[in-house]
Amino acid sequence: MSRSQYVRANYQVNATPQLKMLSDDQCENVLNGALEVLERTGAEIHSEEALEIFRKGGCWVDGNMVCFPSHLVEWAIRSAPSRIVISNQKGERTMFLEGQNVYYGPGPTNTYTIDPFTGERRRAKKSDTVRAAKVIDALPNISFAMDCGTVMDVTPTLSDVHAFQAMLENTNKPIIHWGFGIDQYQDIIDMAAAVAGGLEALQRDPFILLYSESSPPLRHSVEAIDKAIFAAKNNIPIVYTPCTFSGGVAPATMAATLVIAVADSLVGLVAGQLVRKGSGFVMGGLISTMDMSSTILSYGAAELSLLSAGLTAVARYMKIPMFSTGGCSDSKVIDTQMGIEAAFSILIAGLSGANLIHDCSYMEYGATSSLDLMTMDDEIIGMVKKILGGVLVDDEHLALDVIDKVGPGGHYLADDHTMDHFREFWAPTLINRLRFDGWKAEGSKTMAQRVKEKTQDIINNHKPEQKSESVLKEIQAIVDRAEAREANKR
Amino acid sequence: MPNYYEEISQNVITGQLDRVKQLTQQAIGAGNNPVEIINQGLIPGMSVVGARFKAGQMYVPEVLMSARAMNAGMDLVKPLILTKDIPSAGKVVIGTVKGDLHDIGKNLVGMMLESAGFTVINVGVDAGPEKFLQSIKEHQPGVIGMSALLTTTMLAMKDTIELLKEEGLRDKVKVMIGGAPISQDFADEIGADGFAPDAGSAADLCKKLLA
Repeated sequence: MSRSQYVRANYQVNATPQLKMLSDDQCENVLNGALEVLERTGAEIHSEEALEIFRKGGCWVDGNMVCFPSHLVEWAIRSAPSRIVISNQKGERTMFLEGQNVYYGPGPTNTYTIDPFTGERRRAKKSDTVRAAKVIDALPNISFAMDCGTVMDVTPTLSDVHAFQAMLENTNKPIIHWGFGIDQYQDIIDMAAAVAGGLEALQRDPFILLYSESSPPLRHSVEAIDKAIFAAKNNIPIVYTPCTFSGGVAPATMAATLVIAVADSLVGLVAGQLVRKGSGFVMGGLISTMDMSSTILSYGAAELSLLSAGLTAVARYMKIPMFSTGGCSDSKVIDTQMGIEAAFSILIAGLSGANLIHDCSYMEYGATSSLDLMTMDDEIIGMVKKILGGVLVDDEHLALDVIDKVGPGGHYLADDHTMDHFREFWAPTLINRLRFDGWKAEGSKTMAQRVKEKTQDIINNHKPEQKSESVLKEIQAIVDRAEAREANKR
Repeated sequence: MPNYYEEISQNVITGQLDRVKQLTQQAIGAGNNPVEIINQGLIPGMSVVGARFKAGQMYVPEVLMSARAMNAGMDLVKPLILTKDIPSAGKVVIGTVKGDLHDIGKNLVGMMLESAGFTVINVGVDAGPEKFLQSIKEHQPGVIGMSALLTTTMLAMKDTIELLKEEGLRDKVKVMIGGAPISQDFADEIGADGFAPDAGSAADLCKKLLA
């Protein structure tokens, strides 16, 4: 086709559907609210080291109470990097936490896990994290690993260290991991350095993000804030994530809940930036409502999606990478409720452009992890990623010549243009589109049955790429060192 | 003489703190028996609230408003009664265990217990075994309630139970535990008398333990 006029002026492209929960003005409103709270109300800080850092940095410190001058917080926002690149464990740069790039993964530290073979709800064991890591490794739309449950069959204070070992040994994807305290964080960094080929290599191409949770509203325990400081000192990026639920630890309005979440994130940000200007910081995190009948923090609420997308808009306004939530459910079994809640939250989190979207494994309001849910989420994420890809509009995709060639009443099935493009359609792996007889011939299975079979198949047959013997030995030596240290403490 | 009791009850149910105070004051002024004001006005109102909450007809913030209104009435009446005559379902010491600063759930339990007629002594957060022990010696509660949000700090619950055994107090007080990582299995494992999954059922558990 030839065109008479081929210059396009001011041509705009919607490369992807957009969902901007808050306008820039609204984001500024929320941020100013958080700055006012930090300057006027302040935060309660339980770490001597952090108090000293804040005092030296120009905060007003009175006992455990710290008030933050706005200029200092604004400096910290500007000083933190707007992009952090996370590598996989082979040093390949795979997650670009910048702009609206989205990466999905599971969640950490559930009290219980559902055994994927027996269906039993029980405390997690180290072997469960091994299984989780294998499933994470095999699922193409799961981009990073988290432990999927606090393992309880090891030395209790080293649950974090053992879970990290289990993940290192069974996946090469990036890992976001928590720790009880500084000693365990050191173990985790040392193990990660062993994989990366030294601390410097790990700092240059980090494959881990450390993870710390404060206790909103406006309260930061020793463990929480010291971990932010430790991460900055060691130049490893941290996810600092208050768990803010509307009506419980924040006012019952969504705007105020955003203010508390932003303020609490900023406390961790200021600490990190005062320790090392430019240290990697990802703000969080979990934000939803308290159910006023059961008092659970709801993981399936419409407000979880609204608030998470709102917080993402504020993070983007501040140019700080964002850790959000999706793929989770309040349901206790794989059922329709689980599908509804997981699908909505994955879609909205994706549309919001949050860089890291975790908890694609959380059921029962976060109390229990499910590898089946993660497997189902992988399918939903595939679908959502296709939607995020938008509709491509250019000459090749408008295909006017092809339309003219085939003409009225023809079909496109055997056309070269169809051959070139039909694989752009999203192809399901678990969603069933067989005709009735085909579905019946395959055993009339429900989605839940197909999910379970896929999860079990991965656990039984997936072989993650193994690390070298020497690296595995180094990792084991660090675990042994940690065990000796904890034995001495007792 | 008007019968204030029904109106006090109604205003406890709707959480009208100022109105409950006003009516209680009027009832006292009119010469009503203070114990009757509690037993026929304040507590019956709260009993209705408890039943409606369980039936899903009232929500937590409404229950707390009612509890606040009832307590405001109680505060006016209590000074007029000998301590031993104040109606109480029993005494409960509650606290968040050592190393844990999370107290919202624990405080919610406290308010639910109070609204069920218990006298609550709250020892706060980061409470080690000694703090519980001291409070038991001082207040002689029928039940102690320990709370933990973290899988690490929940292990501290056992330390308190061990200390009570050493001090020979274990059979003098019931121990109930709760918090996000807590389960019935864990309660059995550390030798606690009961576990409650949420604030509403904590009050029921307390009643059961003291029955």
